[in-house]
Amino acid sequence: MQGLGKWALAGCATIALTACGGGFGGAEQPKTDAAVELAEFPERVYWGDAHLHTSNSVDAFGFGVRLDPEQALRFARGEEVTSTLGIKARLARPLDWLVITDHSDALGGTKALAEAPRILIRDPVMKRWHDMLNAGPEQSLRATAELIDARARNDLPKGMTDDPETQNKRTRSIWNDHIATVERYNEPGKFTAMLGFEFTLMNGGRNLHRNVIFRDGGDKVKTVVPLGAWGASASTDSLWNYMDAYEKGTGGRVLAIPHNSNLSNGLMFEMTQPGGGAMTAAHARRRALREPLVEITQIKGDSEAHPFLSPNDEFAGYGVAGWELGDLAMAEGKQSSMFAGEYVREALKRGLAIEAKTGVNPYKFGVIGATDSHTALATGDEDNWFGKHTGNEPGATRALSAQNLGTRQGRFGWHYLASGYAGVWARGNSRAEIFDAMLRKEVYATTGPRMTVRVFGGWDFDPRDLDRNWVRKGYRRGVPMGGTLLASKQARGERPSFVISALKDPVGANLDRIQVVKGWIDRSGATREKVFDVVWSDPAKRSPVNGKVSAVGDTVDVAKASYANTIGAPQLATVWRDPEFDPAVKAFYYVRVLEIPTPTWVAFDALRYKLKLPPEVRVKAQERAYTSPIWYDPAA
Amino acid sequence: MTIGLRGARLLREPLVHFIALGALVFALFGNATSADERRIVIDAARIERIAGQYAQNFRRAPSAVELDALIRDDVKEEVYYREALRLGLDRDDEVVRRRMRVKMEAFGDTAAEIAPPDDATLQRWLDAHPARFAGEASYAFDQRYLGTDGAAPQAGLDLLRAGKGFAGAAIPLPASFEAIGAGEAAVLFGDDFPAVLDRLPLGVWSGPVGSGLGQHLVRVRKRQPADPPGLAQIRQRVDNDWRAAMAQARGERAYRALLQRYDVVIEKPE
Repeated sequence: MQGLGKWALAGCATIALTACGGGFGGAEQPKTDAAVELAEFPERVYWGDAHLHTSNSVDAFGFGVRLDPEQALRFARGEEVTSTLGIKARLARPLDWLVITDHSDALGGTKALAEAPRILIRDPVMKRWHDMLNAGPEQSLRATAELIDARARNDLPKGMTDDPETQNKRTRSIWNDHIATVERYNEPGKFTAMLGFEFTLMNGGRNLHRNVIFRDGGDKVKTVVPLGAWGASASTDSLWNYMDAYEKGTGGRVLAIPHNSNLSNGLMFEMTQPGGGAMTAAHARRRALREPLVEITQIKGDSEAHPFLSPNDEFAGYGVAGWELGDLAMAEGKQSSMFAGEYVREALKRGLAIEAKTGVNPYKFGVIGATDSHTALATGDEDNWFGKHTGNEPGATRALSAQNLGTRQGRFGWHYLASGYAGVWARGNSRAEIFDAMLRKEVYATTGPRMTVRVFGGWDFDPRDLDRNWVRKGYRRGVPMGGTLLASKQARGERPSFVISALKDPVGANLDRIQVVKGWIDRSGATREKVFDVVWSDPAKRSPVNGKVSAVGDTVDVAKASYANTIGAPQLATVWRDPEFDPAVKAFYYVRVLEIPTPTWVAFDALRYKLKLPPEVRVKAQERAYTSPIWYDPAA
Repeated sequence: MTIGLRGARLLREPLVHFIALGALVFALFGNATSADERRIVIDAARIERIAGQYAQNFRRAPSAVELDALIRDDVKEEVYYREALRLGLDRDDEVVRRRMRVKMEAFGDTAAEIAPPDDATLQRWLDAHPARFAGEASYAFDQRYLGTDGAAPQAGLDLLRAGKGFAGAAIPLPASFEAIGAGEAAVLFGDDFPAVLDRLPLGVWSGPVGSGLGQHLVRVRKRQPADPPGLAQIRQRVDNDWRAAMAQARGERAYRALLQRYDVVIEKPE
């Protein structure tokens, strides 16, 4: 049985250090990336969060967080910190790496507004916010909601946007401090602290946010400051120009990861250029080069698949409730025609369609999960979830209170997901290795549980390959997740085969099944998709009916927020061959792994705070992992 | 809303108090202010600093026109600042009070920043907090997986103890580990597994023993206790910890020193 006993935050100071996952080691520490001993090929997965906000973020500060980047780093690597509301917190299982991504716009801005001398604030709206930020948590939260709302409506007071000199001065000073802190905590081989920021691009209330992550250390990164996304000139082009200039100027590398496509109202994965017109090959090439990954799951919902787009997939629609109502700010409601530009599976299909027209696939990306936590605490498990922001750190009211951004209705605390993390297949734990794995898309997403998932695609794998050394064989005879199967390597008449393996989180739930999601463009040019169940637990009792495997069952006891691993399997593996392969058409394949049902963080809250939940509240779910795709290209 | 009510609300507005107070201050002392207090000098050193800050932000020196504008703004800031002091805003404004407190607190942090610790200091810190920097045990062991129910473990155990081959059930984890740390073992096999490795007899196949994944047969070949960490290996980590603790302690000390100068009386309501 798994239950509250695993609540590993408040009382975990008593847990022996060795049992907490080894945040401290006595072995010799390499000082530089170059000194990290590398495996021959990626042998283990490195867990991390590529999206975390601290008190330097304009909204996080307003929402009340007072924990800075240093505290965020200490927490992620397994040390105890005290949360803003005074709860002692420690991550039972430390992360291997972390990227703090504070909003570039008004970096430290709310803090500055809160601390500014009142008499010098001339704008009445800013003065009001200043007062609210200083009038306790509730008022501070409201001021920040108003601020985000105003930002979404391009209606910020001029004083907050028209003073670039002060902004620049503040940004430079905070950025330098931030870099110095991250450098001090980066411990190659043990804990990788990477440099990055969030480019919070908006179109009205439509979310076009990107996280920007650097491969390099402070020596190169301090030659730039985070690029702002406020103002008329901000666009994906301005971001990509900035990235080009950084790489040219320093010889370093940088990548960008879009997130919350589910809140873009159709704009994240357009068929056209931004603003309309046929997408050009140049634009498509630039997008694919600059944005090799997408954040597929996080606190503000999951963007894998929507039931409207994938009506035959009974597992589509994980974590879309609430978020599907409109854009980030709820400034504009959702039309069903917008979904296609928002969900990752559809984007991968659109990529093939655009490639057919232009010769370049703009959406040839891999996927990661991340928290987007605004508490400086990178928590992704249902039983330790610290909330989206300080306003909903553990407490009796967070599950059922309205969480709409701005003043409009529709979203509630329980819509937030305790999601997710990124698994990175790298040869060692260093900035260079983690970054390069991201570039080659050898990464995957989970909604929180640390499942170990591998997939290799090739032309000649067979089930006996699973007997021994299959990882080595996978690299030698195939491509890992993120790779492309080349038609030129195809033996005559062969169909692509995939070695797939998933191992449960050792402290988590058993696995229900592994699925392969295939997308392709048929001979008429239309995009298609199909979900295959390829291996599942308890196969003797669960024969497929009409191509579908029955539900795994349900052991969740909602009242106790517990479940039992009496169903499902701790590990699943198979070699799967595409039964419907057409060598003439472009396709992609990604793996989805489903856990058995488990209680959500809301069920843990209901137990802890004795809540009475309305029936629509999501109290259990099948958590999951999504791998980056493997593509098949008949022309390559 | 009646006019009377609005008037009453106006009287409670702090800004109104400031203006009234300011008018009073001016009426009483306006003419008594010395010439020095009414003199603002922006000297060469200050102008250099203004220009320097600009250059740092924009990667070039300000033009003459820009510099004049910056200076004018600096004068404006000084005028407002002095007037604000004259109005007593430093005393009556909650935010200014808090900001000044933060600045005072920051002195402690700044002092910690400018004094890099020497090895002896860090070694003392390390010695004083051994648990915080304790290394971890490492192990060499072999494992065979039996699945979740651990069916018929004896047959496998007999084979292994007789030195014969027994592959066990499939699992995507190595069958042998040469030097795995306790933390890594917990990541792979679950939080309780290091304790299992500590418990088992050395050199013989044992089991079945449970992990987060199911049942295993395990042979621990070697247990290496945690080495006491040397400063050279974990210097940065000790430095980080020392620095954070110093900032906190200095702040606390600075506050205590100031507090001593005051007689604090707290009168709680009955």
